[in-house]
Amino acid sequence: MNGKRHAIETDANKTLLWILRHKLGLTGAKPACERGDCGLCTILLDDEPVKSCLVLAVEANAHKITTIEGITKEGALSTIQTKFIEHGALQCGFCTPAAILVATALLKRSPSPTREQVVESVEGILCRCTGYRQIIDAILDASKINPH
Amino acid sequence: MLPKFDYFAPESLQETLSLLDKCGKDAKPLAGGTDLLVSLRGGQERAKHLIDLKRVKELQNLSFNEKAGLTVGACVTLNRLIHHDAVSKNYPILKEAANTIGDFQIRNRATLVGNICNASPAADTAPALLVLNATVNISTQDNTKKVPIHQFFTGVKKNILASNALTTSIDLPIPPQKSTSAYMKARRTMGEDLAVVGVGGLAAPNGDVGKEIRLAYASVAPTPVRVFEAEKVFTKDRPVDELVDEAIPIIMKTVSPITDVRAGKEYRANLVKVLTRRLVKQLWEAS
Repeated sequence: MNGKRHAIETDANKTLLWILRHKLGLTGAKPACERGDCGLCTILLDDEPVKSCLVLAVEANAHKITTIEGITKEGALSTIQTKFIEHGALQCGFCTPAAILVATALLKRSPSPTREQVVESVEGILCRCTGYRQIIDAILDASKINPH
Repeated sequence: MLPKFDYFAPESLQETLSLLDKCGKDAKPLAGGTDLLVSLRGGQERAKHLIDLKRVKELQNLSFNEKAGLTVGACVTLNRLIHHDAVSKNYPILKEAANTIGDFQIRNRATLVGNICNASPAADTAPALLVLNATVNISTQDNTKKVPIHQFFTGVKKNILASNALTTSIDLPIPPQKSTSAYMKARRTMGEDLAVVGVGGLAAPNGDVGKEIRLAYASVAPTPVRVFEAEKVFTKDRPVDELVDEAIPIIMKTVSPITDVRAGKEYRANLVKVLTRRLVKQLWEAS
C-alpha cells in the first residue's frame, strides 16, 4: 500500500474501497455509484487502474496498491498533479484522485500517448465539472516532460 | 453493501471443481467480479460462497498456435486479450468487441469467459465468438465437455452450466483463409455503455460465387444470436445490396428487439437493418 506493508483483518464481503477508507484512513478513493460505472473509486492494483468498489479486500491481498495519497512524494506534487493545477483540470476535485491515477498509469505504459489514448484512459472516470478538455490537455502536457 | 459470504481461493482446478461440487447452488465462481459484485450488491444474484479462480494457474492460460487456434482461459482479462499479438492479427473482431466493453479499468478485471457466463443478451464478445465458431470447455469434478458457443446461451442471463460446472476456457479455431471480420456497436455514448445493438460479422472468399458471410447480434434477442439461415443468401451470385435486401427479412424473423431504458424497439429494428448493410458491405469489399 503506497510502499508500506499492512496487515488487516476484514470480512470477505468488504471491498477494497471500504478498507481503504475505513481501515486505512485513505479517503482519496470515493464511494459514489458503487456499481463500477463512475470510476471515482479507481486505484492502481499492481500499477493497473481498477475500480476498487469491484475488488474485494481479500482479492487485493499480497498485491501492490497505489492510491492518490501515494502519488505525492514527501509533499512534492508529481508532474501530472502540477499540470492539472496549471490547466484548471479540477473544479470540485471529486474525480481528481481517480483522474491523476489513471494518468499516472497511462504515462507509465505509454510515455508519449496520442490524444486518443489519453481519451481512452479517462473514459472510465465521470467528471461533471470540467468537460474533460482540461484533464486531457493536462495529461498531454505532462507527457511532454520527462520523467513524469 | 455486499451480503455476507465465505471466500475461497483454491490453487488448483481440482480443488476448485471439488468445492463447486460441494457448494454447488450456493456458490459462485469469481474472476473479474465486474458483473458478479454488482449483482450481489443489487440482489439479482445470491451466493453463500465465492470461489476466487485467480490463483488457479491453468485458468490464466492465453495461448495461440497456427493449427489449433486460440485458447482463452477463464481468468484471462479483456485487456490481456486485447493486447495479445495473435488476437490482433487473427481475430480482429474479438479485439474490437472486447475493446467496447466498459472502460479501461473494467477491462483490467473483466474476463472473456465471465462475459459469456454472465450471459447478458448485450454481451459484446458473444457476436464475435459466434461468428468465429468458438467452443466452450466446461468441467465438473467428474467430466469435461465441449459445447459450441451457439448452444451456450439459453435465455436472458442464463446459460447451460450446471451449478457444479465451471467454464475453464474458450477455444477459437483459425478463421478461414483471407477472411476479414469486424464488430459494430451502436450506443448512446462512446464512454462506458451497453450495446443498443451490436453486430458482428465475418466474410471469407467462397470460390467465384458470392462470399461466405457470418453474422451475429447482441441486444436484439433474449440471447446473443447467429443468423445461420440468413447467411445462406450471401453465397448467391448477385450484387451485395440485393443480397442484403434478401437477407434482412430473414434476419428480422430471428431477432426480437425490445424497448428498454436504452432504446425503443423500432429504433433497434432499424439499426439491425442499417448496421447489417453497412457491416456486410464493409466486409465484402475488404475480403
